[in-house]
Amino acid sequence: MKLQVIYCNHQTARLDVRERLAFTSDDQLAEAYTQFRGSFPGSEAVVLSTCNRVELYTAQDDEGGAPGHVELAEFFSRFHGIPIEEFFGDLLTHNGPDAVRHLFRVCSSIDSMVLGEPQIVSQVKNAYRRSEENQACGPLTNALFQGAIRVSKRVRSETRLAEGRVSIASVAVGEFARGIFDRFDDKTVLVIGAGEMAEETLRYLQDDGVREVLVINRDPQRAEVLAREWGGSGYGMEQLHDLLGRADVVVSATGADQPIVDAEMFRRARRGNSDQPVFVLDLGAPRDISPDVAEIDDNVFLYDVDDLQATCERNRKLRSREIERALGIIDEESDRFMQEVYHRATGPIVKRLREQWLEVSEQELERLRTKLGHLEEEDMGQVEQTIQRIVNKLLHPPLETLRNEAREGTPHGLLEALRRLFHIHD
Amino acid sequence: MANVTVFCFLASYSVALVVELLRLQKQSPTRFLGGYAFAAAGFLAHTLFLWNQGRASELPPLLSSSRDWTLVLAWLVVGFYLFVITFDRQVSIGVFLLPLVLALVAASYFVVSTPNDALLTARHGWTMLHAASLAIGMAGVLAGIVLSLMYLLQHRRLRHKYSGADGLRLPSLERLSRINWWSVMVSVPLLTLGMGSGLVLKMIGSAESLSLADPVIVVNGISWLSLTGVFGWMLLTPRATGKQVAWRTLLACAFLLLTVVSLLVLPQIGLESGHGGVVLHDDCLICRGDTL
Repeated sequence: MKLQVIYCNHQTARLDVRERLAFTSDDQLAEAYTQFRGSFPGSEAVVLSTCNRVELYTAQDDEGGAPGHVELAEFFSRFHGIPIEEFFGDLLTHNGPDAVRHLFRVCSSIDSMVLGEPQIVSQVKNAYRRSEENQACGPLTNALFQGAIRVSKRVRSETRLAEGRVSIASVAVGEFARGIFDRFDDKTVLVIGAGEMAEETLRYLQDDGVREVLVINRDPQRAEVLAREWGGSGYGMEQLHDLLGRADVVVSATGADQPIVDAEMFRRARRGNSDQPVFVLDLGAPRDISPDVAEIDDNVFLYDVDDLQATCERNRKLRSREIERALGIIDEESDRFMQEVYHRATGPIVKRLREQWLEVSEQELERLRTKLGHLEEEDMGQVEQTIQRIVNKLLHPPLETLRNEAREGTPHGLLEALRRLFHIHD
Repeated sequence: MANVTVFCFLASYSVALVVELLRLQKQSPTRFLGGYAFAAAGFLAHTLFLWNQGRASELPPLLSSSRDWTLVLAWLVVGFYLFVITFDRQVSIGVFLLPLVLALVAASYFVVSTPNDALLTARHGWTMLHAASLAIGMAGVLAGIVLSLMYLLQHRRLRHKYSGADGLRLPSLERLSRINWWSVMVSVPLLTLGMGSGLVLKMIGSAESLSLADPVIVVNGISWLSLTGVFGWMLLTPRATGKQVAWRTLLACAFLLLTVVSLLVLPQIGLESGHGGVVLHDDCLICRGDTL
């Protein structure tokens, strides 16, 4: 069995690398799964692509036929059309227990830029669902991702990681927007995109008193639905230019694969308004707002997800004790998960052995019934129970040894010995 | 009470500044209370000192001498500092205000300290109006300098994506801009009133005609005009905000402050003016309290 993850995240790679490796739409992801299955037919796969990370989890029963990390990097290179040397140094890989621990850390938001942020759980759930929809999941990845979601719940309920500023939007607004604006109830907020991140940002801004909310989306109806929920107005993308000029706060969180606001568009939108500060928060990866927008004038304050890194690191240091507690839970759960995986690997042999012995005992009982036909039904029942007990008692020592060995890893040697000793065939 | 000296509050303010600097490293209730206590103790000593000075000269501290006028100005700034941190204990305004206070207290050593005998004959109402409006106006100028500096620093931090990681907690640009606007709006009319009343005093108290070529009048006039220019621009520009406002305010206020401090200090070190004597303005308390 080979379980591995190959990934880059906000700690290992710059945003411009991550945005090139990202899987930004469902169609692109579906195509990636198709190509992956074509290249590695025996492998299970789950892709987790968010603004802070691009991760590919793979699992395969047959360790020999599983793709290595170089092959997976080549897959990224082929799929995105990027020379491998441009990003290979930014990729990290973990195998077996380390891969499990990594996913558990990711899902529990220990690995997130904003410690304790809740969005990552739904992002992991979405990634798992997409993999299922594309028939890329299998028993190992099923168990792994279900385990990760369970562990994240435990971490959230048993630690205080999720207290305080726990979203990128809240950090951005709390640390930077409040440095620009004193109050938000007289500000106009423009949200570009109607996804989960946009909604989270709106939730936070409304808690800060924002009243005028404008939502723009490719699908105006979706924008309208979200805007209505927050007491604002929804618009289609064709209104972007006009609304940019009206906004004091611009938050963009779309899945666009290239910037939707460039410097020229922003300059035109701000014409006549350039003496007023504007806070622009780009939560997209790839970025939605071209970085040169920040250079238009001194009153444009543009931040992308990487700009929030230092602040998030400071928050992380303040909660180091909670991180230790969470890591303790993750280690415990990772060990348990691996034991279950190893134990599951011994399952077919145990099952076959038990079936074989029960088959022998059944044959012997049948022979006994023929020979001792005069026995009462009750007596025959006693004999059957005795034989059953003998089989169980004889099976107990080898199975216990097998279980103990499986705690440290798949007991390949012992399984092979059992196969040979008892002539067990697949 | 009678033994309170300038050193008492100078030392208290110095310790308060050190504590404020330590708060940059780590914010803690103990440090805040420590800094607050030292600043408040200094403020109390400062008040007692000015009270004693006034009683000794039988004149309000604003009128007793140029030194006392400078100390009243420092006292106003400390009062403003204590007021701000009472309501917002996070803000690092002391790092900006306390050095100014220390500079003013230190500068007071270099200005005239003798009581103003001429005040006995001067019209008390006019001189009080002159000195008070100039003192409050100058406090507004000092606030303008500090707020503009804070604005520019906060602006720089935000543009360079720094948050409060360095421990320096500054108000939002919007708030700084708003208070800055008010500081200019208050200080310019008061300074104008102070200068106007100074001219009236000159005309009342001197047989000589007023010379517009007097270098003191020229320098003061230029610095006042520059600040008035900023005042007019801010008043006429709707929602005047931004870095440009901060720069203009900073430059105009700093120029005015420099002019006033120079006029206070230079006569004491004997610098001659091209006017045929030391750079003095006979009728201005700020410049020459003892000759009014």
